[in-house]
Amino acid sequence: MLNTKNIYKPLKAKLTEVIEESPVIKTFVLIPEKEFSFGTGQFIELSVDGIGEAPFTPSSSPLVKDKLEVTVMKTGYVTEYMHDLKPGCHMGIRGPYGRGYPVESFYGKQVLILGGGCGLAPIRSLLYALEHIKDKLEKVILCYGSKTASDCIYKPLFSRLNSIDKFEAHRTVDKAEPGWDGSVGVVTTLLNKINVNLKNSIAVVCGPPVMMKFGTIRLLEMGYSDDQIYLSMEKNMSCGLGKCGHCMMGEFFVCKDGPVFTYNELKNTPDIWK
Amino acid sequence: MHYLSIKKEEWDKTIEQLLLSYSIFATMDNEYGMDYEMVSPANIRKISYNKAKPATSLKTFFLPVKENVTSSRLPDKYRIILGAPTCDIQGLKLLDEIYLDKDFNDIFYRERREKTILISTDCFEKQEHCHCTSYGIKPYAVTDADLAVIRMGDLIVLRLITAKGEDFIKQISRPQDMNDQIIESEIEKAHDSAVSLLQSSNEGLPDYKSTGKLVMEAGKEIWVKYSASCVSCGACATICPTCSCFLMIDKPEFEKVKQLDACQYPGFERVAGGEDPLFDLDKRFRNRYMCKYVWKPEKFGSIACTGCGRCIEACIGKINKNELFLELAK
Repeated sequence: MLNTKNIYKPLKAKLTEVIEESPVIKTFVLIPEKEFSFGTGQFIELSVDGIGEAPFTPSSSPLVKDKLEVTVMKTGYVTEYMHDLKPGCHMGIRGPYGRGYPVESFYGKQVLILGGGCGLAPIRSLLYALEHIKDKLEKVILCYGSKTASDCIYKPLFSRLNSIDKFEAHRTVDKAEPGWDGSVGVVTTLLNKINVNLKNSIAVVCGPPVMMKFGTIRLLEMGYSDDQIYLSMEKNMSCGLGKCGHCMMGEFFVCKDGPVFTYNELKNTPDIWK
Repeated sequence: MHYLSIKKEEWDKTIEQLLLSYSIFATMDNEYGMDYEMVSPANIRKISYNKAKPATSLKTFFLPVKENVTSSRLPDKYRIILGAPTCDIQGLKLLDEIYLDKDFNDIFYRERREKTILISTDCFEKQEHCHCTSYGIKPYAVTDADLAVIRMGDLIVLRLITAKGEDFIKQISRPQDMNDQIIESEIEKAHDSAVSLLQSSNEGLPDYKSTGKLVMEAGKEIWVKYSASCVSCGACATICPTCSCFLMIDKPEFEKVKQLDACQYPGFERVAGGEDPLFDLDKRFRNRYMCKYVWKPEKFGSIACTGCGRCIEACIGKINKNELFLELAK
């Protein structure tokens, strides 16, 4: 039967809470008008009425169907308007779109997650999903880097993760502020502190382009193979439907073929880190 | 091939009758050349046949420049497009793959497609930059259009192509099976002559696949050289029968407006964080050829350049992609 759904029409969602994560990052808690489910790592197009829409990967658990959390860094035209929104208003949601993390293929393995900056938002959703299936995993290790300690989002997440069986979380900052007694240095320095069983591990990288690039290079040096590394790519996904062309990266539509790719799929595509 | 024929005078009357139940657009000569016009009883006699492509490509009938995709009404009237050249018919195949994709079917595109009777016309001539045969396309439709129409003196000859076309023809009682071997052989001769004209004027131009290889392997210098006079106006993409990238614009009440866009405009791929892979003019320029000859063929079954040559005609910087490819092929 032919699908009669209008693929461009958003679903309205009520903004019920705005959580300030850092001076430039807020989490928007949304209750969609209809049940809305997504796979971890998939993204949505979130719109401010009459202003514009932008792609975000939800930061909440994919197991929760009636509520959605989206963590947004104030960085452009649409996100500036988003940061001014107050609870009670409505936002628009289209999606979910794309190919998320293939968590079922992680069964029995160690999952190493390398995150940077606002990349922790999609990672948080992945961590919820992995926590749900932790009996089927060997270990989950999170290595996360932020510019400073105050730029780090979801601070309580780290102590909580460290209290979960099979989970461990490490943090580093590029620049130490007074009172910080943890690691200092780029996120890849944390990789020297962890023990992984390379043969039975996969790595997930999510963060700003430069961090993704050097993170991937370091993982390859450690001995990870190209298809053991999962990258969450960020491009100008405008329609989310594999049509508008804005997110083309070589022959891929990042919105439809990704946003999660293995490095093996992308290694011959030029300019992937831009 | 199954041909029907009808006297030109009778055909014109048939079109007039069809106007009662269809909107009809047809290629007509105007003071600037030839383009699609809305047919009315007053201009039926101006419809042109057997000529090379109109100024506008067929895509404009299926992908409007700007369209509200949340509240627009779907078209309810069937329409006939008469006179589309084969290059444009072939161009629609790529648009079909993109817009009728099984995961995300665009209902606006689909409705327009389903409610259109596509009547192609055979090109018995070529324009300066026509090069469809270099990319494996014949200047006359034997697939994909519903019907093809040819004018042979005071006779209109119709070639049946699809079942939709045959059903349509059943509504018109006048055309009769054509059993005139002489006319059929004249049509064949006209086809052969158009093909040889196209082939001889595009001698040496690499075919579609070879062009992809050349584009992929070409160094930065050639892109810098040929993009030097590009002003990023996007005319090449706008006029192209297969370029279909768009922009989503938000309007109050969560309405979305879809507007055609082009990778030749600065900022096309820019993300909020500031990264812009296509910031440099030469990269932007190269992107369009990589898309047409390398990436789209990897992803889709249909070709992304049909050799219509409109991008060459439309370029205010006088950039001729075929000169570029000939230089690469040297």
